[in-house]
Amino acid sequence: MREPAVQGFAGRAAIAGIGLTELTRRSGRTELELAVHAARLALGDAGMPPAALDAVLSYHMNDSAPSLQVARALRLETIGWHNDISGGGSQTASILGDAAMLIANGVARNVLIYRAMNGRSGTRMNTASTGPQEHFTLPYGMAGPIPMFALAATRYLHDTGLTAEHLHAVVAQSRQNAAANPRALRRAPLSLDEYLAAPYISAPLRAADCCQETDGACALVLTDARLAPEAPRVRAVVRGGGPGCSAMDRAPDVSAIFSGTVAPMLWAASGMRPGDVDVALLYDAYSWLVPRQLTDFGLVRPAGLGDFLLARGHAGVNPHGGLLSEGYVHGLNNVAQAVRELRAGRETALVTGFGGSYGSAALLTRA
Amino acid sequence: MGADPDPYWTACRRGELAIQRCTACDARVHLPAAECPRCGGTDLPFEPVGGDGIVHTFTIVYRSFVPAFRGREPYVLAWIDLPEGARAFGSVVGCPPERVTVGMRVRVMFENDLPVWRPA
Ligand SMILES: [Zn+2]
Repeated sequence: MREPAVQGFAGRAAIAGIGLTELTRRSGRTELELAVHAARLALGDAGMPPAALDAVLSYHMNDSAPSLQVARALRLETIGWHNDISGGGSQTASILGDAAMLIANGVARNVLIYRAMNGRSGTRMNTASTGPQEHFTLPYGMAGPIPMFALAATRYLHDTGLTAEHLHAVVAQSRQNAAANPRALRRAPLSLDEYLAAPYISAPLRAADCCQETDGACALVLTDARLAPEAPRVRAVVRGGGPGCSAMDRAPDVSAIFSGTVAPMLWAASGMRPGDVDVALLYDAYSWLVPRQLTDFGLVRPAGLGDFLLARGHAGVNPHGGLLSEGYVHGLNNVAQAVRELRAGRETALVTGFGGSYGSAALLTRA
Repeated sequence: MGADPDPYWTACRRGELAIQRCTACDARVHLPAAECPRCGGTDLPFEPVGGDGIVHTFTIVYRSFVPAFRGREPYVLAWIDLPEGARAFGSVVGCPPERVTVGMRVRVMFENDLPVWRPA
């Protein structure tokens, strides 16, 4: 028997529609056009007219279209609750909680969530600020997230004994999973020799270990679960973090990421267990985040992690290819895939959002 | 919260690595902070450290995202554990990048008033 869920919104919001634009390297469209396109696809998928929306939520890093502009472009005469949440990958799962709380509390009935970005042709992430520490790191030639998370990755590989071969297993599996996904930006197989021969960007990370810089938008329509009895439910959502790779000057474990903190929160909040998860959509902005989350969430025991990866035990993770191969709409495309999986008959999906050692996680369940 | 880091850079110009010490609890505090993260103390004078360190983690940058550093790759960025009980950021110089390891002993030196680390 499951423990009763402790979150008041558990099961009361449903994801009724998903929309994803074409994922490209050069969209030739504004973020607003991308957002509106994705929103219309999600509304169409939900069978809902735009006018039924009474709330709009998005997250951004000053690189997106504001929610009010999107609402106006959708020709909403009035809008209720709307917010442009400042943040990146840490929001991927928790924005579902924001929407679910609005719905469960009667603040809104139908909530549009979107993330729109020209992540390749417009504002690229690779020089995004790494925070106030920059005064001490920039003079040495450090900028952007890749060297930052490479520093964490070196220590992670050192502590776990994992090697380039294991990172290859993560990326190669992602490519293999993406092979059947027409939306994916990278679908070609990646052999170990090809992987090892590729240059590093910031060792131990090669380009293949980093997610695809992408132009595109993803949207979700959440609604009161009573109005969408067939749609996947938001069962539990947590957001938090602690010491780790976001503040390496003080962290006991510089390779710690959000999942070390939020995984126990998620199991406590949901009354569920790792064994209940039958598909995991893990935020794979970097290859090493996959094994790190697998053990943090208790999906794999640390002792057997290396062999598990080489045996491709993670084949079911990110069945669409994830952020490494499908594309990078700041993680929201992983949530869309979770909905597809639940519609196809899976019972429980885990989706995660990474922002260094801060982030979020959600459990979605079949109606 | 940050603190005025000027005394840190002033010490660097003297060829000295100076790290805050909390006079209330004796903790070393770095990167510079206005309050001690351990006890909240606000008296945090910058005091010299011995200059020894151990590589906690590192990366070798082959493709720099800092325009001024393009063409200077590969170079090593590292977090260095100080025996006094703080962690410093810097580059590791004086050996081929691929020789750097976690746990390697290093010693501070100054290049253009910037503390960098070489194999001890
Ligand atoms: Zn103190």
